[in-house]
Amino acid sequence: MIQEKLRQKARELLESKAVDLVIGFGEGSLPLRVSPVFIRNPHEVDRLVWNSFCRQNLSTYLHKFKSLKIGLVVKGCDSRSVVALSLEKRFKPDQLFLIGVPCQRMVDHRRVKRAVQGEILHVSEQGDELIVEGKDFKTRLNRKDFLYPSCQVCVHRNPVRADLLMGEVVEEFSLLETHPDMKGFLNKGVEERWDYFEKETGRCIRCYACREACPMCYCPECFVDNSNPKWMEQGLSPSDLEFYHIVRAYHQTGRCTACGACERACPMEIRLTYMTEKLNQDVKELFGFETGVDPQASSPLSTFDVEDQQEFIK
Amino acid sequence: MTLKLDKKDFHSFLQNLMNDYELFAPVQVAEGVAVYKKIEHPLEAARFSLNPQKPAKEVFFPQSETMFRYGKVGVKTEVTSTEKVERKRILLGARPCDLQAVSLLDEIFQGREYSDPYYINKRQATTVIGMGCSQPLSTCFCSSMEGGPFSRNHSDIFLIDLGEAYLVEVLTEKGKAFEKNPFFKKATQKDLKAAKSIEKNASNQVGAILSLEGIERKLDQMIESPFWDRVQERCIGCRVCTYLCPTCHCFDIADETLTTKGQRVRNWDSCLSSLYSQETSGHNPRPTNRERTRQRLMHKFNYFPKNVGRIACVGCGRCVLYCPADLDIRETIKEIQKG
Amino acid sequence: MEMVWEPKILAFLCNWCSYAGADLAGTSRIQYPPNIRVIRVPCSGRINPLFILKALQNGVDGVLVSGCHPGDCHYLSGNYVGRRKSATLKRFIEFLGLEEGRVQFSWVSAAEGGKFSQVVHEVTEEVKKLGPAKRFVKKSS
Repeated sequence: MIQEKLRQKARELLESKAVDLVIGFGEGSLPLRVSPVFIRNPHEVDRLVWNSFCRQNLSTYLHKFKSLKIGLVVKGCDSRSVVALSLEKRFKPDQLFLIGVPCQRMVDHRRVKRAVQGEILHVSEQGDELIVEGKDFKTRLNRKDFLYPSCQVCVHRNPVRADLLMGEVVEEFSLLETHPDMKGFLNKGVEERWDYFEKETGRCIRCYACREACPMCYCPECFVDNSNPKWMEQGLSPSDLEFYHIVRAYHQTGRCTACGACERACPMEIRLTYMTEKLNQDVKELFGFETGVDPQASSPLSTFDVEDQQEFIK
Repeated sequence: MTLKLDKKDFHSFLQNLMNDYELFAPVQVAEGVAVYKKIEHPLEAARFSLNPQKPAKEVFFPQSETMFRYGKVGVKTEVTSTEKVERKRILLGARPCDLQAVSLLDEIFQGREYSDPYYINKRQATTVIGMGCSQPLSTCFCSSMEGGPFSRNHSDIFLIDLGEAYLVEVLTEKGKAFEKNPFFKKATQKDLKAAKSIEKNASNQVGAILSLEGIERKLDQMIESPFWDRVQERCIGCRVCTYLCPTCHCFDIADETLTTKGQRVRNWDSCLSSLYSQETSGHNPRPTNRERTRQRLMHKFNYFPKNVGRIACVGCGRCVLYCPADLDIRETIKEIQKG
Repeated sequence: MEMVWEPKILAFLCNWCSYAGADLAGTSRIQYPPNIRVIRVPCSGRINPLFILKALQNGVDGVLVSGCHPGDCHYLSGNYVGRRKSATLKRFIEFLGLEEGRVQFSWVSAAEGGKFSQVVHEVTEEVKKLGPAKRFVKKSS
């Protein structure tokens, strides 16, 4: 079992002092949730878990530990973030030990919640089924019906870089042809597309959870906080909310690994990955680039090709 | 005085209220996401199936509020005040936890040292129609925080959902103005009995499980404790818990100027942001997440009790439910209490 | 008299080519629509996408970014790097729902006064067709 292996490997790493700290997923206090755990003591490795609710991208925590040697539990997308961050020289090459886990695609706890009446108090997994229990109900659900959008279209479930792989390599294929939030979107008129964007961003509360959850958002001062030049006000005017979301997403051009951490962190459930999905598609189409897949390839916006497309330029 | 309101009359009732009042109620803004908002049409009001993500404090203390406007008219500069509240207001459907939180905000905004006209004017103009919380969640811990799912405190009128109807309890002078509302009927003994049992049921679900005793003194000793290193570790430093907290009330004031006119605005701010404590010189007395997460908890469980004698947490569970890193304030409290 | 709406277009012109191209148009007395307001920048690669977005938010009806032709950049590769930013930004905002044509790009050299005039004509015409900018514009309080 992956979980057992994880714990054992973490124990070995800590006991042999190969790493100072293991960052992984641990039991959350609520059903359908896990919470990041930070383990320094080999006796605590049993706090590590692995299940279908490991929704966070733990590489976002790397920015906190500049001087420690870290054993990091990574899914496919998380490992790509690590590659992208190495490219941006965010840590020393030998600072990390990547404990890779081929991912079974993660389950969106919000979607599960909506599928049942009443509060879910306990959940367990059995093969492809989720057994969901509440005060006066118990149902079995097919986990495939409740996956995160970004997981449904994921083709990098296996960690692209890992020092050690837990479990068998999985077959790479997308469950859906297009990202569910993109489906039908492109056929919409420009007006309708803007209305959708406006409606989504209109409920933003500027908590910046999307920014903080993202491993690639690490600017010491974010453009929203700049006072000179002051790019935007701090209020909730629709235009400022749009401004924030355009720039937050756009700054991920060629850097997003489609882990979906932004969308999962949003308390207002704003659809965010349809934007980054578009950016990822464009970067692939225009520059043949996929973030974090090739550790040698430099970020597309930091380089160029003389032959780049330019038919849009007069 | 106990009355009742049939649910089939609910929308007409709202329409009736809207003739004379501005009505603020939970509005669904996306599937499963709600906020308190001024409603323009009765159908907008969500049927309170969930406690909105954003707490009711927003009705009295909006996330972004204009304090005054200024502009040049000819050669003169004119300043327009936005202090006044033009129409009477109703806050409908607020849960007891949110209302207890409003009473904590009262201590700040109409406290001994300072009174804030923006807040007070809205508060005074508003009649509060509270709502019993008949299906509390496992994340609720209001009963540990001197509240309870059916606490009537700070409601002028209190509703209890009976299924087909709401039981209506008129509690204060302000509430009495509504007694004669044509949609209210007399409640029967049966209704009262049903309400009692719903109340009992809900109250049993939210046990007083957390002990807060002595937490203030414990925290006095903990300023330099390594405990905060562990608390901050998981925290990604977003503002979800502070913005969704019904008692958090920090704000920042900014002037938004556009050539010859502008406005002074106050926006919610959060102690979890590094900018919050950054000084003009660049020095930051709370340089890392450790100091910032500590500040949040200290304010709720130490500074606030020191200043006004009450704990600034009402047990609504929002920070538990919506934390991207699944930090649970109940566990933090327990750990503090363990010492 | 009825007021006819005229679009306001912000033009970021690179110092070495397009700005000089505009100068040449002027000294050669080649006419072009007065709808553009020019900001001179050192290089089209200097354009931070925030500049374009901020201009749109502030209510301009169109933005033009113009730099040296490929291979002619004073800083050798600034326009190549800028080209990638332009391509991705344009696609992205049009995907979100801003009209195609609000943001435009051109290469104009210091010797192309005529082309500069022609570009400004075209851009002005296209933005006119779109009408005044409504989306994304910040309404003043």
